Amino acid sequence: MHKLITPRSRKILYFLLVLFAFLAARLFCVQLGAAKPLSKLASGQYDTYMCLLPKRGVIYDRNLKEFAVSINLNSVFVDPLIVEDKESAVRELSRILKIDKDKILERVQQKKRFVWLARKISPDLEKAIRSVNIEGVGLVKEPHRVYPNGTLASHIIGFVGVDEQGLEGIELTFDKFLKGTVGWRYSIRDAKKREVPGYKYREIPPADGNDVILTIDNVVQAIAERELNSSFEKFNAKGGSIIVMDPYTGDILALANRPTYDPNNISEFPVETRRNRAVSDFFEPGSSFKIVTASGVIEEGLFSVEDEFFCENGEFKWGRHTYHDHKPHGWLSFRDVIKYSSNIGTMKAALILGENRLYRYMRRFGFGKKTGIDLPGEVDGIVRSPAEWSNLSLCSISMGQELGVTALQLACAVSSLANGGYYIRPRIIDRIQDSTGQMVRRFESKRLHRVVSERNAEKLREILRGVVEEGTGKLAEVEGYFPAGKTGTAQKVEANKTYSHRKFTSSFIGFLPYDKPRFTVVVIMDEPSPSYYGGTVCAPIFKKVATQLMRYYKIEPRS
Amino acid sequence: MKIALQIHKIIISIFMLTLLALLYVNQQTLVYQIGLNLKENNKIYSELLDHNRILVYNVLNLKSPVNLEAKLLAKEVELSMPHKWQVVKRDNSPAKFVHKDETKRGFFANLFIMGREAEASPNINNGFSLKRH
Repeated sequence: MHKLITPRSRKILYFLLVLFAFLAARLFCVQLGAAKPLSKLASGQYDTYMCLLPKRGVIYDRNLKEFAVSINLNSVFVDPLIVEDKESAVRELSRILKIDKDKILERVQQKKRFVWLARKISPDLEKAIRSVNIEGVGLVKEPHRVYPNGTLASHIIGFVGVDEQGLEGIELTFDKFLKGTVGWRYSIRDAKKREVPGYKYREIPPADGNDVILTIDNVVQAIAERELNSSFEKFNAKGGSIIVMDPYTGDILALANRPTYDPNNISEFPVETRRNRAVSDFFEPGSSFKIVTASGVIEEGLFSVEDEFFCENGEFKWGRHTYHDHKPHGWLSFRDVIKYSSNIGTMKAALILGENRLYRYMRRFGFGKKTGIDLPGEVDGIVRSPAEWSNLSLCSISMGQELGVTALQLACAVSSLANGGYYIRPRIIDRIQDSTGQMVRRFESKRLHRVVSERNAEKLREILRGVVEEGTGKLAEVEGYFPAGKTGTAQKVEANKTYSHRKFTSSFIGFLPYDKPRFTVVVIMDEPSPSYYGGTVCAPIFKKVATQLMRYYKIEPRS
Repeated sequence: MKIALQIHKIIISIFMLTLLALLYVNQQTLVYQIGLNLKENNKIYSELLDHNRILVYNVLNLKSPVNLEAKLLAKEVELSMPHKWQVVKRDNSPAKFVHKDETKRGFFANLFIMGREAEASPNINNGFSLKRH
């Protein structure tokens, strides 16, 4: 044994012991002295927390046809500190992305580790970027909202911002349902920044957004938009709206506006095209509003529809103002007053009705307050209380002047007559469901209050049938389907607060068939020219939309 | 002799420990490698899903009423609904157009099959009818 441990071996042994002691001391210092800062440094290098983005919910029409979907597109970023040959990189990137070289150079020269170059590029551009394989340039996936139908129902659907937050329409109103919940993942990454799978891995998966199902039918919407578009161009109008509604459930089957925009290319359209005129714009309805006066008069039982009024042969002086009919009439029954839209006859009926009762019916029909539809930007309109009326207000208001109404309010008002006398809240959302199809929330149709009795609603429907059959709305006639409705031609107010002789708002509000209505259709045209009467501009549009509606729903005409 | 044996044992033990350690490290490396491969496959799967969504969007875009109308307009194709007099309705279709119910079973087949299968009624609500209160 002693022979094995030679002096030389002893020296080696002592050396190893000293080395071991040194290593032990160093280990002691590192483990106890510098443990915390070193752990933190290691954690910063290896730990990775990743945000998991949820998929935004889909917006469907009532037949589950997609209106808005989300896809993933790549966005290009650069790590300026890694890029070596900046000139060549800038040249290539400018060529592919078609962005000015100076702009790219400015970004590549920044003293940051992450700079965006282009967001959400097309798959072709992504392929080109991958093919050049520039060190320091990377791609990261981002969700992108797309609208397959383009301009169709754009005012209803709305659009999202670059970070997928709703900015208009249903995208805005139901953003909290559509956006979902962000998840996260904690894991370790290696020296090449690759995630080490399965090692110290924790995840809370994202919850995808809920889907929204509208009451809109995309075919009915397409019909309304096509007819509105052709008339909008034909009459050089400033704006227009069409609403198609189920008078019993309040379902909005179509809501179209012009001018319109494509939510896929927001920046290419002026801001004013994004306005949902059907709920955000109010206007003086003109003769369409006579349905309110007529309803008040008949419901109060002040006289029968066959009682006659003298229409002063077209000119009637009341106070300091002279009222005119567009065509002179003598004695007309109240039925004919509405049929031929006599202002003078209506005024006289209103004078019997009185201010307070007329105001009460205006409120009953929903004017002067929001309908409560689930769309942003809805306005109340303007309905002043009788205390604020002048001596002439009763006459003016009875003819649809001195007040402001929206197209949707008119649609709800005329639907009240169509469905037997109930004011019903309009509905644009049917339900919200999750990505597996489970119901999250249902929106039931709501009958709010009675406006007129069922019997009087029937009488009013017959009167309005007369408007189309023999009155000012003849161009709205649809053979075999017996529509009913009311025309309206209202002068607009100029800047100097006088009524214009060149600018008008034309309207036709109606439903069909008159005895058992299936649909309410409201057509509004803002400043049509050269023709401007509701009967010549809007009534034919109503006819075209109604005809196609009946065919689409396979409703047979009656003899 | 005893010392030599002990040294041998120590050396063998060290050797075995080292071997085990190497095997463990190799195993971890393999696990890591497989994990990376799985991740890569998931990435490919995710990209294929994204590509599928883009294709679905393209199909929806092509099918949309607005695009179909624009295409028809561009080709100057005018469509209109047929008039009543243009539609011919046949009361008695020829035998070759009558759909034979292939699923009807014979008498003996019915004897040996337990229970009945539900059959859908041909008069299905097509979803276009309106709801009324």
